[in-house]
Amino acid sequence: MIDILIFFIGASLLLYVLLGGSDYGAGILELLPCGALREKRKHVINEAMGPVWEANHIWLILVVVILFNGFPRIFTTLMTALHAPMLALLAGIVVRGAVFTFRHHDAVQTGGSQRVYTLLFGCSSLWSAFWLGIIVASLNRGLIDPAAPDAHAAYIAPWAGLYPLALGLFAACIFLFLAGIYLIGETDDGALRRHFTRVAAAANVLVVASGGLVFAASTLEHESLPALFLRTPAALAALGLATLLCIALWAAARARRARHALVTRVIAGGQVTLILLGWWLLYAPNAMLTAAGPLNLYAEAAPPATLRQLVAALLVGSLFIFPSLFFLLRVFKTRGK
Amino acid sequence: MDNLTAARATMAFSLGFHIIFASIGMTMPLFMSAAHWLWLKKKNPVYLELTKMWMRGVAILFAVGAVSGTVLSFELGLLWPGFMRHAGAIIGMPFSWEGTAFFLEAVAIGLFLYGWKRMHPWVHWATGLTVGVAGFVSGIFVVAVSGWMNAPAGFEWLDGAAHNIDPVKAMFNRAWPHLSLHMQLAALQAVGFGVAGIHAFLYLRGKAPEVHLRALKIAMAFGAVASLAQPFAGHFAGRRVAQLQPVKLAAMEGHFETSRRAPLYIGGIPDEEARTTRWGVPVPGLLSLMAHDDIDAEVAGLDQFPREDWPPVAITHVSFQIMVGIGMAMALLGVLYFVYARRGRFPAWFLRVLVVFAPFGMVAIETGWVVTEVGRQPWIIHGILRTRDAVTPVPGMVWHFALFLVLYTALAIATVWLFKRQIQAVQNQAAQNRRAGQEQAAQNQTGQPA
Repeated sequence: MIDILIFFIGASLLLYVLLGGSDYGAGILELLPCGALREKRKHVINEAMGPVWEANHIWLILVVVILFNGFPRIFTTLMTALHAPMLALLAGIVVRGAVFTFRHHDAVQTGGSQRVYTLLFGCSSLWSAFWLGIIVASLNRGLIDPAAPDAHAAYIAPWAGLYPLALGLFAACIFLFLAGIYLIGETDDGALRRHFTRVAAAANVLVVASGGLVFAASTLEHESLPALFLRTPAALAALGLATLLCIALWAAARARRARHALVTRVIAGGQVTLILLGWWLLYAPNAMLTAAGPLNLYAEAAPPATLRQLVAALLVGSLFIFPSLFFLLRVFKTRGK
Repeated sequence: MDNLTAARATMAFSLGFHIIFASIGMTMPLFMSAAHWLWLKKKNPVYLELTKMWMRGVAILFAVGAVSGTVLSFELGLLWPGFMRHAGAIIGMPFSWEGTAFFLEAVAIGLFLYGWKRMHPWVHWATGLTVGVAGFVSGIFVVAVSGWMNAPAGFEWLDGAAHNIDPVKAMFNRAWPHLSLHMQLAALQAVGFGVAGIHAFLYLRGKAPEVHLRALKIAMAFGAVASLAQPFAGHFAGRRVAQLQPVKLAAMEGHFETSRRAPLYIGGIPDEEARTTRWGVPVPGLLSLMAHDDIDAEVAGLDQFPREDWPPVAITHVSFQIMVGIGMAMALLGVLYFVYARRGRFPAWFLRVLVVFAPFGMVAIETGWVVTEVGRQPWIIHGILRTRDAVTPVPGMVWHFALFLVLYTALAIATVWLFKRQIQAVQNQAAQNRRAGQEQAAQNQTGQPA
């Protein structure tokens, strides 16, 4: 029962990072200069993200619901110790969710308002991606302490530090990378494709660089992440494979075959999946590390009656959701109409 | 502002904000589908224009509803960890079903908004209807949580913790039926009257009168039917509250002293210190009759309950009076609507009244929620857990409140501003169409003799 829930949490997180992540990345991407292609780029992003925007966002809500229903203590510990970054993330989500839709559906499509929307969309996407990374980093630093003596130790120390900062940057870079790769296949305009390819390549370099920063920061401040990876061969293998796949990715991107958009998407998605898998393997089955020890998903699960109905809801829900999602993708993502 | 007050203010404000957009998000797609159906059946382009007009409105409001709903799912833990620690495992079930319905809604809205010309017209129509139906169902589910907080069920409470949890019993708690029925009707009513009021205003301005008249008729068909059913649903809800939460009923009615043939106050301001309701007009026996079907029945007053278990009486009573007053007026307008619709003509004064009434349905929803949730105080789980024991230990909640106050005020202003632009565009488009039509007609006339 708990395994099914863990699978759903993992799958939802993964899909949120892959799908919601490219939405974040698209926002960050719009902050980058691209000269005369600006309007066209905005149009491509509207058309590519618009239909799937709300659906991509729900994976996060699904994680929250599974957590508070199935693992209430983990949820409340998280929401208490990480109150401030959660609030920052929420503020970003509100702004970007609103302005993305406003931009597309504003009756007046010219003039300064569009520039304001785009700027707000970009900044709030970068902001939210950053805080998402900070939250993830804070889970396993061992500084979450429900019995902390003062407010600083209880509500600020868990997330303030170099390592969360580095992981925040890393998250933003990963999202930008995903968006770049995804958008290449969303347009037939050669100049715009080259622009997206350049962004993806630069983001790939940034991912590796900020990944190095994450390693360095973790070594400086708490348990060294490289040492942890070395102790967990499977995680190391996943990370290594993700890095090696860069070669395959750029080989595929250079081969300008008709289907290469799909190939590069699959490879990039696989890379990010491997990174998340590696991260999960480092800590599984602990959801977080508190000062009093790890909070284990198996130990913190709600009573069996609750888990049974939650699993039932997820399975029955999947019967509705997956066919409809499939239909959504079939309608909008089959190209060459 | 102390932490508990700030947390309560934040929750009230986030819920009060979300509920407006959620109500619109779960009912307006139904109006839109009705217009869309008429377009597909009758092929009158006015209905297509209307469908697209409402679609843009739905898109904007849905987005605000979705993000403010996300905020709420986090707020439960950010503000009330002491509640969620216990409640998460018990009452998560309706949340998971609501999540499922909302997921379907989100997929459907993507399909509908961007799916014109990409699928069979009737399939496309069905995606629009799915937005409405899934939204409506998700509303029904989520109200089960409020029902459970008011009439907790499905667990045993021992030594400050829940045992023998039964999530199914918790979900099907005794307050769910009346709360969800009351809420869903209220949403149809408020949005129906709100939309009708806006279109009545535009109709009276005289630009593109045809589309606005048809819009008004569709919206009022939903709103008027709901407003006629609502007094019955409200009465049912009141009787249930009398059984489940007599202290809340006493606060709603400003009823301080237990009595037989209890009076119902129309208006009035309760004074908690003096334990009396001033300046109200009492109707003898009506409260007994309404609550227990018997004019001589005993109705428990606030004196039956320890002072520390009273909700804020004045707020609850005044909110209740406002809600009932608006509901009654809407029922009357609903009757008048059907009278004039049968005659086939709406007098201008009636349309003006509809314009004035546009925001009042939402006022009734807000005050109704104040009755439900402020009337539940001082408990967060009625009779089990006090709100003050559930609040987050994180200090500085006043800043949390300030953040959302600023954020949501900005969002509200932006939404209103966007709607002004939408309406402007519709009016310009209509004027353009008419000019084009006239030119076409002129051309036809000059062309015909030859």
